[in-house]
Amino acid sequence: MEEPKKIIIDTDPGVDDAMAIFVALQSPEVEVIGLTTIYGNVYTTLATRNALHLVSLSLSLNYIVFSFWEIAVEMLDLMGAAVRSSDTSLEIAGRTDIPVAEGSHVTITVCTKLRIADFVHGTDGLGNQNFPPPKGAPIKQSAAEFLVKQTNLYPGKVTVVALGPLTNIALAIQSDPEFVKNVGQIVLLGGAFSVNGNVNPAAEANIFGDPDAADIVFTSGADILAIGINVTHQVVLTDADQDKLAESSGKLAQYMCKILDVYFSYHHDAYSTKGVYLHDPTTVLAAVDPSLITYVEGAVRVQTVGITRGLTLFYNKQKRFAEVTEWSDKPSVKVAVTVNAPEVVKLVMERLMNS
Amino acid sequence: MSSDGIDGVVVSGNCCSKKCDKIIIDTDPGIDDSIAILMAFQSPELDVLGLTTVFGNVSTENATRNALLLCEIAGRPDVPVAEGSSEPLKRGKPRIADFVHGSNGLGNISLDPPKSEKCDKSAPEFLVDKVSEFPGEVSILALGPLTNIALAIKRDSSFASKVKRIVILGGAFFALGNVNPAAEANIYGDPEAADVVFTSGANIDVVGINITTQVKLTDTDLEELRKSNGRHAQLLCDMCKFYRDWHVKSDGVYGIFLHDPVSFVALVRPDLFTFKKGVVRVETQGICVGLTIMDQGLKK
Repeated sequence: MEEPKKIIIDTDPGVDDAMAIFVALQSPEVEVIGLTTIYGNVYTTLATRNALHLVSLSLSLNYIVFSFWEIAVEMLDLMGAAVRSSDTSLEIAGRTDIPVAEGSHVTITVCTKLRIADFVHGTDGLGNQNFPPPKGAPIKQSAAEFLVKQTNLYPGKVTVVALGPLTNIALAIQSDPEFVKNVGQIVLLGGAFSVNGNVNPAAEANIFGDPDAADIVFTSGADILAIGINVTHQVVLTDADQDKLAESSGKLAQYMCKILDVYFSYHHDAYSTKGVYLHDPTTVLAAVDPSLITYVEGAVRVQTVGITRGLTLFYNKQKRFAEVTEWSDKPSVKVAVTVNAPEVVKLVMERLMNS
Repeated sequence: MSSDGIDGVVVSGNCCSKKCDKIIIDTDPGIDDSIAILMAFQSPELDVLGLTTVFGNVSTENATRNALLLCEIAGRPDVPVAEGSSEPLKRGKPRIADFVHGSNGLGNISLDPPKSEKCDKSAPEFLVDKVSEFPGEVSILALGPLTNIALAIKRDSSFASKVKRIVILGGAFFALGNVNPAAEANIYGDPEAADVVFTSGANIDVVGINITTQVKLTDTDLEELRKSNGRHAQLLCDMCKFYRDWHVKSDGVYGIFLHDPVSFVALVRPDLFTFKKGVVRVETQGICVGLTIMDQGLKK
């Protein structure tokens, strides 16, 4: 088997972020080398707390799964045959501690007036479950520093999966000119390409969260794959799927069922759909297996002012305009256009239920 | 597309022997404007109350000259031509698409100047007067930037409710623009005016370039037209040469898009189109100035 793809998930957990993080941690094709946090579904402080909670939860579940290994190690230990390091159980589970680096609390233009979607995800971001505070703590590095360091350490090898507003990624781009070359690919959830947005008719939530940062990222020259809501709205986890998760003995499936209720009610009210959109899990799976989507290439710019602030506009570079435009000579990015939705839902279900 | 959005009364074009449909064409002729205008004059079911002129394909001054010429060519020098605004509501000197339509707006073919003269009223005055004279009866075909219509709306608060229908050529809905990736030329010409018109509450049907670029006259069609005995076929084919060459350069299209004629057809034969109904706003700032965005109402 190929070496697993190293990924860093930039996230604002978030119910579907939680699902996406679980799917990533359950995917042998990728190795999650860290999480960075951002505001969006919740404020950054809470995003960090939730990220730590989700990582420790996931690790403790793996600890249970592999606990018989630990027993074996304990026995060996007792027999004096092995010296057990403090985190052997986690190493046996195939994972050591996953670092969480806290990201920006404000937009790239230092705007503190943030739009927080707690009405979608619950006030705690995780379906109003009042989980106890996590034991772990974020690392000292900021999200942008962590992104720069890790991509520098493994040039061309690290995929950044960005599930929230793009402030941290833009800060990484601004702080180190090598970042866009060192990063393998940036797979981002954002934009509404040739469809209405979800914040308003013009804008999708992640791009709307920091349009200036998004424009920096889209025009940076990095290898970018954008998954917009034109694609994620095709991937629906139905009420029936949720029932299946509830019946499963998978620990992560059980956990997800608890926190999904708020997310389901929001979708019922806002979209009159019998199911929820799997924005973040689709994006993670696009990074895990690019063959799940198809894409087109061209320049993307983000409108940063006016009534359509946050709108993403894709130009395929086919038509020739009489005048130089704001899209002329901008690097091409990849924009997803189709998705194998049944396969994405199946993978999400499997990876949550087999946990 | 669904067809649930046709609002207002749809009057079929061939059942009004008693009472003709009254229309005013607001126009910046313009090669494809010329086709649409001559089509209108060839339609016995229509009563063309007048033409109002605006900048866009040409300056407003040249638009007025060309409108007068077209009325004469159609044998209708009696039809009033009211000159409109020479610039957009806020943006100063307008952008003129002479690279598409030639410096005279009619494909640089030589034509004698018109003998008739423009009427005394300005375009917004003319629009307000005619719509007030025949409330609920006058349709407007708007083929250029929407400055005159916006000024009419601002001039008379009852204009929007009294006009029967406004068919607008403008915008790019969920499609690329033609001035730049964001904006279509007519809306880009006066985005502030377009936003006033779209939000005015009038009964509006919009034909964007997402529709009009589906309708082409190919080189073969143009050749067939040239060989025909049609009254205006030769003249229009001569005009179209410049326009056609630009299409090859800009879009790799060997032929011409029928933006204005398609919009005219939407006025008289709405049954050939399907519509979606929703709020449309126009961006007036930033890199997407002139972008038209429609709320499809998918979300509460």
